[in-house]
Amino acid sequence: MAAAKKPLSSAPLRILTAVPICDGHDSAVSTINLELARHGLEVIYLGYHCPVSTIVRAAIQEDVHVVGLSSYNGGHIVFFKEVVDRLRALGAGDIPVFGGGGGTITKADERVMQRQGTDRIFHAGTPLNDIMALIQREYGRVLKPNAKLRGDRALARAITLAEQGSGHRGSRATAKRRGSGFVVGVAGPGGAGKSTLIDELTSRFLRKSPAGRIAILANDPSHPDTGGAILGDRVSMIYAQDDRVFFRSLATRGGLTGISAATPAAIEILKHSGEFDLILVESVGIGQESDPFGLFSKKRRLVDAMLFVLAPHYGGRLQLQKIGLLNGADLVVLNKCDHTMAHTARAEITARLEANGKGQRLFGTVAAKHHDPGVNTLYDALAQLGSLEVSP
Amino acid sequence: MSSLGKIADSVDAYNAHVAAEVARARTDQKFAAELRERWAKIHETVDWTVSPTGTPLPRLALPPTDDPGAIAEYLLGQGVPGEFPYANAAYREMYLDRESGSGGGPATTGEEPMRLFAGLGLAEDTNARFHYLGKHQKSLRLSTAFDGPTLYGLDSDHEGVLGKVGEGGVAIDTVEDMVRLFAGFDLTRKDASVSMTMNAPAPIILAMFIAAAQRRFGHDCVPNLRGTIQADMLKEVQAQNEVIFPIDASLRFLCDMIEWCVPHMPRWYPVSISGYHIAEAGATPVQQAAFTLSNGFTYVELLRARGADVNHIGPRLSFFLDCGLDVEYLVLGRVCRRLWAIGMRDVFGANAKAQVLKLHSQTSGRSLVAAEFQNNLTRTAVELMLAYLNYTNSCHSNSADEPFTTPTAKYATLASHGQSIIMEESGVFKHMMNMFGGAPGLLILEKQVEKSILEVFREMDTLGGVLAAQEQRYQRSKIQEAGHNYEKQIYSGARPIIGLNKYKSDEPMPSVPLARTSPKKQRLQVERLQAFKKKHAKQAPDALHRLENVARGKGNVFAELVNTVEVCSLGQITACLTNVVGKFRPMV
Repeated sequence: MAAAKKPLSSAPLRILTAVPICDGHDSAVSTINLELARHGLEVIYLGYHCPVSTIVRAAIQEDVHVVGLSSYNGGHIVFFKEVVDRLRALGAGDIPVFGGGGGTITKADERVMQRQGTDRIFHAGTPLNDIMALIQREYGRVLKPNAKLRGDRALARAITLAEQGSGHRGSRATAKRRGSGFVVGVAGPGGAGKSTLIDELTSRFLRKSPAGRIAILANDPSHPDTGGAILGDRVSMIYAQDDRVFFRSLATRGGLTGISAATPAAIEILKHSGEFDLILVESVGIGQESDPFGLFSKKRRLVDAMLFVLAPHYGGRLQLQKIGLLNGADLVVLNKCDHTMAHTARAEITARLEANGKGQRLFGTVAAKHHDPGVNTLYDALAQLGSLEVSP
Repeated sequence: MSSLGKIADSVDAYNAHVAAEVARARTDQKFAAELRERWAKIHETVDWTVSPTGTPLPRLALPPTDDPGAIAEYLLGQGVPGEFPYANAAYREMYLDRESGSGGGPATTGEEPMRLFAGLGLAEDTNARFHYLGKHQKSLRLSTAFDGPTLYGLDSDHEGVLGKVGEGGVAIDTVEDMVRLFAGFDLTRKDASVSMTMNAPAPIILAMFIAAAQRRFGHDCVPNLRGTIQADMLKEVQAQNEVIFPIDASLRFLCDMIEWCVPHMPRWYPVSISGYHIAEAGATPVQQAAFTLSNGFTYVELLRARGADVNHIGPRLSFFLDCGLDVEYLVLGRVCRRLWAIGMRDVFGANAKAQVLKLHSQTSGRSLVAAEFQNNLTRTAVELMLAYLNYTNSCHSNSADEPFTTPTAKYATLASHGQSIIMEESGVFKHMMNMFGGAPGLLILEKQVEKSILEVFREMDTLGGVLAAQEQRYQRSKIQEAGHNYEKQIYSGARPIIGLNKYKSDEPMPSVPLARTSPKKQRLQVERLQAFKKKHAKQAPDALHRLENVARGKGNVFAELVNTVEVCSLGQITACLTNVVGKFRPMV
């Protein structure tokens, strides 16, 4: 097992990688992402066809050390400038931006781009190892408390400090019932559709609470050997790319409970801010053992409610019996319920919940479907639990 | 079992059938005599010609044998060019010189294979490039590349895209841009062919093309329009990432377009099933072939499920493969034609016309490097040879300056001349058809590549078929893995790239002229778009409302788009459809 607590200086370097708007070339950036993670970095990958606003929002909320953009179909001079300008405008001009684009970004372009604030360009033929070494050397600074930071940047930095084991320590006694925000844990096996469901719930929130804000903490596992991680929940979000959403990806950094050790403190920070009506906390994909949200321990309980997501392929009745979290979940969701196996799954899960005798409700959803009525029903139930707005 | 499993089984069954027939030819005297008679008849149809230096040559090379087993193996295993299973070629004579023929053999297709992809700046800039390239071609061939905003269905005035307007392709926002793009060309000419590399918004762009043609050539010109639109959404989801709508909706819009084109545009190919981008994103040649063919079979299934007749849609499908330098490219087109024909005939019951895979090839962009970029001319020339050895129906050659820029006129011309040197100057493809088919190396490669493709088919079959595998990111994972291996081979030196990791010189990177679109032009495009929107501000809401109603119901969206584009821009239409069907959730 990797050490749960590392010295401060060894906190992984966090990098945001993305491909600009109207560009789908992701072959180079996927190779770079893998290499970065292999070198122990935490990579928040935003995917291809990314607008400036999405990139800058993510850089701030994820409190990254550096932003790397991979551009292959032109327009880079204008695009990089817009990213740098917007970072500066939002008080995040200290986050450096570098780029690469094979031969499409020339040395002459680089000079113009550097004058406009881009840090550097990696040109065609630069060996991967050189790129890795340079990123670690140039961008691996320690992120420190900064009283001047405002808004999402301040929240993001507080979470960073919590991740480093310094700063805001989550004392469990105070984590409960202080500040505001209805906290919902979301757990379930990998591939059940947790991230998609969270994004769809977010779209309902944004529609039904026209002024409110929602926060999402998404946990993903760190690699046990390298300590690196590709934090890939943010990339599949459509609706959560919005200024009313605060989204933070957390790597587990050696913790084996299904969440990062900093999650309790991060929840407390979000609640304390008073900014959010709803806080969703996604665990890593989990099976039968763990209890990420402390449902079965009065002292450790982190959430106000828990939503457990399953897909029809859970492996039959016996496997279902073994999922302890089904006993503690407030809302149970059978996602992909349009699948041919869903009929049997629904009957088996219903029987399982009835045996619990706790009046737990089962919801059927097809999160991948646009405007799925099952997700609407689920959201309304969630909103009722948390006394959220349900304006039509 | 999904149809992929059945297709793999049908190929195995066909191969077993060929083996049995070969054995029978060697033991059954009557069958042997029939084969010899058929062989003699084929020989009788072969005309003779004379090379420019005086060597007499048959216009078709047939294996020099009288052995009934060998004859059976050739006729059933490969087929005479233009005959099932089409390993040797889709047609009998392909690129042969027409003039040198004599007597009553089948005519050549007369089709000029060269296509030159172009697109830069605003519509008038690309139009000027088309006119310039046209000087190097016998017939009218207009192959269009679009800029990023157009490929993603966004208007040029969309937030944050200004720098991308006219970069890497032409900016098209409205039907008026489309009129400018093809100004001065008679698109209704018999030898005209327009192709458009356009995918997610393909139905909108094709509708604009039709509307623009009608403005110039009258309402009745539509059946005369000839060409191809790529529109292959499966490979977008698997490799190229230009997707706007959720997969189901994307496939519905595509099928609506194909169904409309089949009766209304008899000379148009409404989809080009593409492996090019799959290979460029990293796939091995085998993966490229396996994913492309399986995507093609998936379109056939989808269209059949909507009630289409395989014999109506089969002839309207076209294919597009990458041709790189790996050895498998010697036979990739040959193997694909054979597998497609067997699958279409034996699993889908297609007739002869619907069994033929019509192939467009393009030399590999990924194989071109910035370091000592003049070497790219040689790379492209070798790839062209490989593509033509596979008897591709049409071919595009990349420009040597592509690692840096949208092709400049100088290198686009050299790319075009490269094809002319191979096809017109050299005698390799002019006098005798199928010079190399049946060579021992090719036969071995064909067998190995075919076997590996069937393995991929069976793996996808166990995952539930193409769409189910796609949902599990099977194709994406395989492509990415192969891409990483390729990069690792370059970094380790296991894959030599001359001038990059081998025989490097110390010369600094040359300064290459770049084709870039000026900010002034980008602003001009935005002004034109806004003038169009202002002009049609009154009619646009109604047109969009009608489109929305069709999209919400079960009607044919494409049929309505042909009206919508008269008064609405690309971005307005994309926004309207997104509102109805939602957005694509990115896959990584």
